[in-house]
Amino acid sequence: MNTQKNVKIGFWGCPERTLVNELKSKYPNADWLDLDLDLNAPDKHILPESYCKIIKNIINNSLGMKDKLDIIVAPIGKDKCDSGWFAAQLLKDMGFEVIECINPNIDKKRPLVISTSNLPLYDKFNIIMNNIIDEKALNAAQCKPKFGFWGVPPNDMEILKLFPDETHVYGWTRCVERGTPADVAEEMYVEPDVPTVFYAQSFCAKCQLAKYLADKYNGLYIDIDDYATNSVRAKIEAFLRLS
Amino acid sequence: MTLYIDAGTTYSKIIADGEKLDFLPVKNENGFLYYIIPSSEVRFLDLKFKKSCGHMFSDENSENEIIALAQGCKKDIEPDSVVLDLGSRDAKWIRFKNGKFRDMDWNTSCASSTGATVEMLLKFYDLKTEDLKFNPEKYNVTCGIFGFEKIMDDISKGVNASDAVSKFVHGIAFNAWNFAKRPEKIYLSGGFCNNECFVKSLENYCDVVKLGRFKLCEGLIDG
Repeated sequence: MNTQKNVKIGFWGCPERTLVNELKSKYPNADWLDLDLDLNAPDKHILPESYCKIIKNIINNSLGMKDKLDIIVAPIGKDKCDSGWFAAQLLKDMGFEVIECINPNIDKKRPLVISTSNLPLYDKFNIIMNNIIDEKALNAAQCKPKFGFWGVPPNDMEILKLFPDETHVYGWTRCVERGTPADVAEEMYVEPDVPTVFYAQSFCAKCQLAKYLADKYNGLYIDIDDYATNSVRAKIEAFLRLS
Repeated sequence: MTLYIDAGTTYSKIIADGEKLDFLPVKNENGFLYYIIPSSEVRFLDLKFKKSCGHMFSDENSENEIIALAQGCKKDIEPDSVVLDLGSRDAKWIRFKNGKFRDMDWNTSCASSTGATVEMLLKFYDLKTEDLKFNPEKYNVTCGIFGFEKIMDDISKGVNASDAVSKFVHGIAFNAWNFAKRPEKIYLSGGFCNNECFVKSLENYCDVVKLGRFKLCEGLIDG
């Protein structure tokens, strides 16, 4: 392992705060890296061609910086997904130091500040995800929702810029703000009268939930593999203009 | 002269307010002339359009196709309605309740079960649209490529090409009905209004009201 000064810790999902704090205490100068994100790592073709882009990011990012990545914090429970569990096994098998973890918290809910704020939707997602490791007290003006966006942070974050600021966040990302990423009741919560886009990454098991909820609440279901095409953008735009 | 264009993948639907183009209009209504021109020819015509939609034309006056469809069909439908537009390369539907938008979808990724595919099949087997007749049997064409395989298998066993393609078209109609969430009635827009085999196949599942091919283009005028 590198010296403590430049330890690099990769993570995905929303690891439990206690574990994050333990590691921050042990490695106070560590660089933390969200492996869920598309960091332009070359595709190592470990996973099938048609597979969840987020999991591909995890594998490709890890392999792309193999010599520099000291620890991988790997949520493997319902707070992430079965694919996350398999990814952890693959990375262990390939020689990475993997700390498997499960975030079971569904009781100690933090209040919502960002999901229900009037900040740009793109900023809402960034603030919520950045708060997983660097926890800060959050404050933002609240607004009534004109629209909703349900789901995980999309691989193509640019689609979030199509939405007006008065868009509330629902689904897993809202759970992350709560600190309860495994709380499926919270994940399934939406406001029935708020026109909502239900988003899932193509080939992700959450497509099941997104499609079901979109049908139930007359929302718009979209799944995107990699980056959004112009047609998908037009579909979202039409939903927002007609609703 | 004011022009509006819905530039589809195969054909462009143009409405002219006033003067004639150097083509034979398919309709003349309320002072508007309606034209259908192969999209491959439109780019050479040097025409300026007030508003446009469709995959084959894009400028600062381009409108979203779903918006154009919603605007173009609203005067022709009941307050509680489903409108389905099935074109060369995509399918889109809108549901209205009490005259207001309620739901929509747009298959934007796979064109293997839409008009362009049927046109290719007609050319490949040297058939005309009129050769296709409603067939109570259908192929599963969730994937159009697998549907091709069924056509070829059946033809190799002695089935007429027209019967096989008709079953494929029935499969497309069944898919379209499912895609629109199985409504009791569909207002049908787009080129498939002229395909009687498709319309009869769709009528196997729901009532069908044909709106013709110009609803998106009319939506550009109304919008």
